[in-house]
Amino acid sequence: MWFKKALDSLLGNTTLPSASLEKLFAISSASITMQSNLDLGPSPRAGICFKPIESSKYDSARKEIEELLAFSSKETGSTYKIETDEYRFTWVILEDPDFEDLITGIHLISQTLIEKGFGAYLLCAIFRFGEEKPVYWIYNFKQGRFYPFIPVLGKTRDNAAELRIKSLFERELPIEEDMGKWYPLWGIPL
Amino acid sequence: MVRWPRDRGLQARMMGTLFLLALVYFIFITVLAFIGVDSLLIVVVMVIILLLQYFFSDQLVLLSMGARVVSEQEEPHLYETLTRLCAIADITRPKIAIVDKAVPNAFATGRNPQHSVIAVTTGLLSMLNQDELEAVIAHELSHVKNRDVMIITLASLISTAAFFIFRNSFMFTQGGGRSRDQNLWFVIPILAASVWATSFLLIKALSRYREFSADRGSAILTGRPSQLASALMKISGQIKHIPTTDLREIEGMNAFFIIPAISGTSIMDLVATHPSVEQRIAALERIEREMEGHVV
Repeated sequence: MWFKKALDSLLGNTTLPSASLEKLFAISSASITMQSNLDLGPSPRAGICFKPIESSKYDSARKEIEELLAFSSKETGSTYKIETDEYRFTWVILEDPDFEDLITGIHLISQTLIEKGFGAYLLCAIFRFGEEKPVYWIYNFKQGRFYPFIPVLGKTRDNAAELRIKSLFERELPIEEDMGKWYPLWGIPL
Repeated sequence: MVRWPRDRGLQARMMGTLFLLALVYFIFITVLAFIGVDSLLIVVVMVIILLLQYFFSDQLVLLSMGARVVSEQEEPHLYETLTRLCAIADITRPKIAIVDKAVPNAFATGRNPQHSVIAVTTGLLSMLNQDELEAVIAHELSHVKNRDVMIITLASLISTAAFFIFRNSFMFTQGGGRSRDQNLWFVIPILAASVWATSFLLIKALSRYREFSADRGSAILTGRPSQLASALMKISGQIKHIPTTDLREIEGMNAFFIIPAISGTSIMDLVATHPSVEQRIAALERIEREMEGHVV
């Protein structure tokens, strides 16, 4: 691993790490603890963010995702919308009162992208808890881990609350240990 | 699975250059040892220079360029653009600096990702749109990831030593007491000069290959090779219009700039630190075709 990284640097070779979905469902049991211990219920909306790329294969993957979403929203009664943010990243926002359906939807989208070969361009999935002062759990596909994000007014975040919530969930969720990778996302469209 | 085929040709050329460079250096050191030059002093001086460069080059470069490191609060948009690329590539996020200059350009400095700074000029920020800016930042981030500053510094070390020996060869020709063969001393300046000249060309070639690699890295990171091509065209078009007096100030930094600020295409491709914009765009178009799955 160390050797491969050094060799890649020396040869100027760029490879993107692939996405891991394994731990995504851990948020399901964590949501119960969020509700019971912190009185923060899951929001009926969750989002997934990825980078669109220039390729006709990507266009067809995106079309397939839209078809899948249209199909599954008929089945489960959830709604969805697709947005592009100011950084030209694509967001799919799912809305469903059933939290399990939200996770399944997020899983479906990421699974499709991974199958089509665009897993490397998945940025994150976001689950929101609480109404007034939201707590976000962000799933980083590259690490296969979660980290908390609690924005406050302006572009600042409540680090103390994030650390507290980390210590509360250490056993339940796979949490990113390197806090340098707790990347903030401002203006989350949830 | 969308595959990103490695550019085998580019990697072979890079390995070849590194090998030749090592060979030239090896011959140089062996011959010096054979003649009986007391190279201890040179080694000590070079190690000191190396350590200084290793630890302070980033601050020196930023200082000489008038680059100011900015915080996330000052430049939230730039930082978020960089953050997302770092998250996708899983690279430690470097810092960002702004250079208050109208010349559109960008450079990266620092020995490793933890100590790296990506600097952009205000001219660049006002000229490029979001997609192009992202592509340029991804190019610089690839330089950081590939450790280009460290690799070029290491590759230039003995070359610099050869230049130093050539310039000061009188020092060696006088005190020839410990020499095995007095008659061989005249070889030293000639040898040093030719080692310096050869390695100079090899280092320029190496840095051109590193540029192609960074372009490729940018294309892979952003998934949009055409945006970097478009940025390169805009930047190069602008640079040609800027008077040379301004450019002289920044010529020393060429090896790290995204487009070197040399006016005109005078001194041939052989000694340019950067490949021509046409070559770079052609390479990006090739990547674009690879992405569509066409055989190249």
